[in-house]
Amino acid sequence: MNLSLIDSLAMGAALVGPMMAGSGHLRTNLSLYGVQTALLAVASGLVADSKHEPTMYVVALAIVVLKAIAIPFFLNWIAGRIAVRTDSTFWLRPPVAMHLCVLFLGFSYVLSQQLPVDAARHYSQIGATAAISLVLSGLVLMLTRRLAISQIVGFLVTENGIYLFALTQTNGMPLFVEMGILLDVLAGVMIAGLLLFDIKKSFEHIDVEKLADLKD
Amino acid sequence: MTTESIAGAMCFLGALIVMPIVVLGLIRKIKARFQNRVGPPLLQPFFDIALLFRKRETVSDVTSWVFHGSAALILAVMLIQAVLIPWLSFKPAVPGADLILVLYLFALSKLALIFFAFDSASPFGAFGASREVTLSLLVEPASMLSLAALAIQSQSTDLSRIFAYGANGLHEPVLWCIAGMCLLLASLVELSRMPVDDPTTHLELTMVHEAMILEASGPTLAVNELSHAIHMTILFGLVGQCFIHAVVGATAISPPVLAALSVGCTFIIAALVAVFESVAVRVHWRKAPEFIAYAVTFGLFACLFVIAGSHQP
Repeated sequence: MNLSLIDSLAMGAALVGPMMAGSGHLRTNLSLYGVQTALLAVASGLVADSKHEPTMYVVALAIVVLKAIAIPFFLNWIAGRIAVRTDSTFWLRPPVAMHLCVLFLGFSYVLSQQLPVDAARHYSQIGATAAISLVLSGLVLMLTRRLAISQIVGFLVTENGIYLFALTQTNGMPLFVEMGILLDVLAGVMIAGLLLFDIKKSFEHIDVEKLADLKD
Repeated sequence: MTTESIAGAMCFLGALIVMPIVVLGLIRKIKARFQNRVGPPLLQPFFDIALLFRKRETVSDVTSWVFHGSAALILAVMLIQAVLIPWLSFKPAVPGADLILVLYLFALSKLALIFFAFDSASPFGAFGASREVTLSLLVEPASMLSLAALAIQSQSTDLSRIFAYGANGLHEPVLWCIAGMCLLLASLVELSRMPVDDPTTHLELTMVHEAMILEASGPTLAVNELSHAIHMTILFGLVGQCFIHAVVGATAISPPVLAALSVGCTFIIAALVAVFESVAVRVHWRKAPEFIAYAVTFGLFACLFVIAGSHQP
């Protein structure tokens, strides 16, 4: 199978998704998320290079600074502040969740073959596979973890998947759209982080299953 | 037989004798450096093993012929594997290096080691053996899947054809990388190295491989150490071959450069493993399956890659 460099990077990012599902260590998860986002940023840089769109370089740089460095550090800082290191409570054991993600990777390949494609337009099947599998990996992360902070990470992985889909199928979106999305993600993570402090303060843990405890 | 093939065979023989010793010495040296010690010289394992051969042996009086027979069998299997498996680019081609034969010869050596541990009737040996069986059960899918993916892609189960260089080789850098990662993680488990077992531990309750050879002494211990060193070198060499294939691809490289590259790559992987062992901690025994799951995941990635490639329009 001949893969272009952008496709290989997209696939590399998609392979990090299952690996994140396989570890309950928050720090491992966050650094893997950073690696995954950095791979996407390099892919954006390559798209910018091949399509001669200088604004995409700005997007790639913003992704590296905000999503690959700032967000993992911020979440790591929060995890340190509320003294959580591992997500030891799972709906599904991490190895099983990881193998489920691999299954979803195969499934997304089948799905990407079924997508209606306009023959005249550019379509990258490997890119679509990687993007769909990232979305599904994020969903698996969100559904199998019980700590609120891991669910934020799952949400971020899903967001990466949607970004990758846009990147590989549309040659990148305009700068303002990208910047708006980045700002939204950043604001979302900040608010979620502040909420974590509050949840921790009022419930003394961040296990989402026990959030219903206060009900009558 | 041409002069070149004779020279290649002589080089291979030299590498087979020297490399296991140096790999062992290199790992010890690097680990010592990380602990702020000078460390033993690189060839120290050779003198250790030579010393053990000269020592008198103490054998438990409940052992039978199985004890010595298994130790000899393990060494024999490892030497056969060294000749069969293409772990160096200049290894002379030998017919019959089938991937299933090779994998189950490793299993045979493991079985012999388990018999060895049980024959001495030591409870620690039985501990270690039961753990070793658990680990091998879990890790077998990983090595099988990655090698099978390579075999399907190159349409042959003959390892010397899969790992062939040049025009009739397999040029899939992504697949080679994934298979190499899978084999590397699997070999860490197969060799009972760091994340699942600490080879330098002194606590019998947590040992895996060391517990099984606890009752060995003198020449038997030397034979065991030697087979383990050869096992390690073969596996690291095989992983190195995967990564070399990923980098080299279809470009033609002259055999001497390739030979130097394979030897160097084996040492680099051994050094990386030593660095990893110095900075990482051993995982809890109940967490070991989670580590092995990563190896299996890489195997599954390799299979998915091959399946997707065969359906490419």
